[in-house]
Amino acid sequence: MSAAIGSGSIGEGDRIGPGVALAESGLVRYMGFDCLAERTLALAEARRVEDEATGQDERMGEFVERYLGFLGSGGKMVGNFGAANPDAAVADAVTALRGAGLSGTPVGVVRGDDVIDAVLEHDVYLPERGCTARAEKARIVSAHAYIGADTIVHLLDEGARLVIGGRIADASVFVGPICHELGWALDDWDRVAVATLAGHLLEGGAGRTLDAYPMAVVSDDGVEITRQPGTGPVPVDSVKRAVAHEVHDPATYLTPDVVADFTDVVATQAAPDRVRFTGARGAPKPESYKVLVALDLGWKLVAEISLGGHGCVDRARATEGLMRRFLEPFASDIDEMRFDIHGVNALFGAQHGGGTPADVRLRMAVRCPSREAVDAVTFEANQMWLSGGGGLTRTVERAIGVTPALLPRTHVPLETEVVVA
Amino acid sequence: MRLHEVATCQSGDKGDMVNVVVFPNDDETWELLRERLTVDVVREHFGELVRGDVRRYEFRGLQALNFVMDEALGGGVSISLRTDPHGKSYRSLMGELDITPLLEGVGKEHANHAGD
Repeated sequence: MSAAIGSGSIGEGDRIGPGVALAESGLVRYMGFDCLAERTLALAEARRVEDEATGQDERMGEFVERYLGFLGSGGKMVGNFGAANPDAAVADAVTALRGAGLSGTPVGVVRGDDVIDAVLEHDVYLPERGCTARAEKARIVSAHAYIGADTIVHLLDEGARLVIGGRIADASVFVGPICHELGWALDDWDRVAVATLAGHLLEGGAGRTLDAYPMAVVSDDGVEITRQPGTGPVPVDSVKRAVAHEVHDPATYLTPDVVADFTDVVATQAAPDRVRFTGARGAPKPESYKVLVALDLGWKLVAEISLGGHGCVDRARATEGLMRRFLEPFASDIDEMRFDIHGVNALFGAQHGGGTPADVRLRMAVRCPSREAVDAVTFEANQMWLSGGGGLTRTVERAIGVTPALLPRTHVPLETEVVVA
Repeated sequence: MRLHEVATCQSGDKGDMVNVVVFPNDDETWELLRERLTVDVVREHFGELVRGDVRRYEFRGLQALNFVMDEALGGGVSISLRTDPHGKSYRSLMGELDITPLLEGVGKEHANHAGD
């Protein structure tokens, strides 16, 4: 017995077409969608604050419309389309389903990952900030817990064909359907680790090409990553790298569903277009949820100008000196400032470089606590013209920072509901 | 000789932490790098870019070394003023690591083994 699930999205703004092609191949019964990056939720929350009917993935309706054929033939979709507002995503999905004549489709929603109140009530510690939540209260924009596969399994058991949540952990959008389909208990840790390896591989982009997205076939024999026929080879040497994607200690990969151990995972080329993974093990899931707290850290300016030809690096350095002098009067309104020279040190500082570039781009990045301050600095950045260079650009955006915390599961009551379109 | 000639590297981020994974191209290179590509070698190579701890983990089954570096992204993706706040380019920097010093005595060592 095996479960086949396809990858429909592995991040914010992913392309939709390749997933639709996979779904319509008839090879998968489930499609999983991770639509969130670390900062996506904070930005979505900012939208929700402006208008409480927003904050969801704005492409929810489009996803449903593109996947109508799959949904209509009994396929099931699971994703964190809800972002900061799962109910708004449900409303979009219901509208799209009704508009397409699929009234009656059961849509499952998971609520409760928004934990801003609990974070403040229990005054959780923010290790990267060196303080507790209440000390940062004025800056906190949002707080969301990375939730797991348990509510997904419950909703699929209840008959939901589309499951929508907020900050469902990346791999869990795949773990839920796999465990539901195979009837794997969520405290059967070795099996949940196998399902998690499958989800981790898919969300890490294993086996993706530009035009075709991968699927996982999961069973007690392990995980196979493959694609629909005619989309080219799936080579073990590149696919296996996804195991290490954003993992730290492979012996204790923490997820809301399991503590997975990937230390002894082995990858083999089962066929030219199939890579088999075995050796994942699991231990009981963590007692706490990981939470990302988003903080309003003011505003950020990036200003750049290009210089070329003889002595361009020296002229860029001289311009940096000039700008530092111009910005001295604003020192108390600047939280952080840095200069880089593209072509010389922008990526690697002094750790790697050499040679004489034909042209360079001087970059000045400044973070200020207020809009007024960043506007004043942005005005001053106009003086970069004095360098004699060209192509000055100035971009201002909000500086929303995210910082991690832990919250015991008992403080995160989750709720599910099946809404009939 | 540079690391990218004998291994493939990749990088990922979590907050202000970056991990760079080194996948040696063959068994022999795996054994060599496992022994000699130490935390100290990597820490020196990244220098001022990494302000926090560097830890090394092994993917024994896949034959890969994972270097996890704290305080390496200027405060994390969302607030960093760095050009590359995700540290995506760190895999390229790892690939530029000069492994010539690590290869010293390799031939000799093999000769010794042969004589054991």
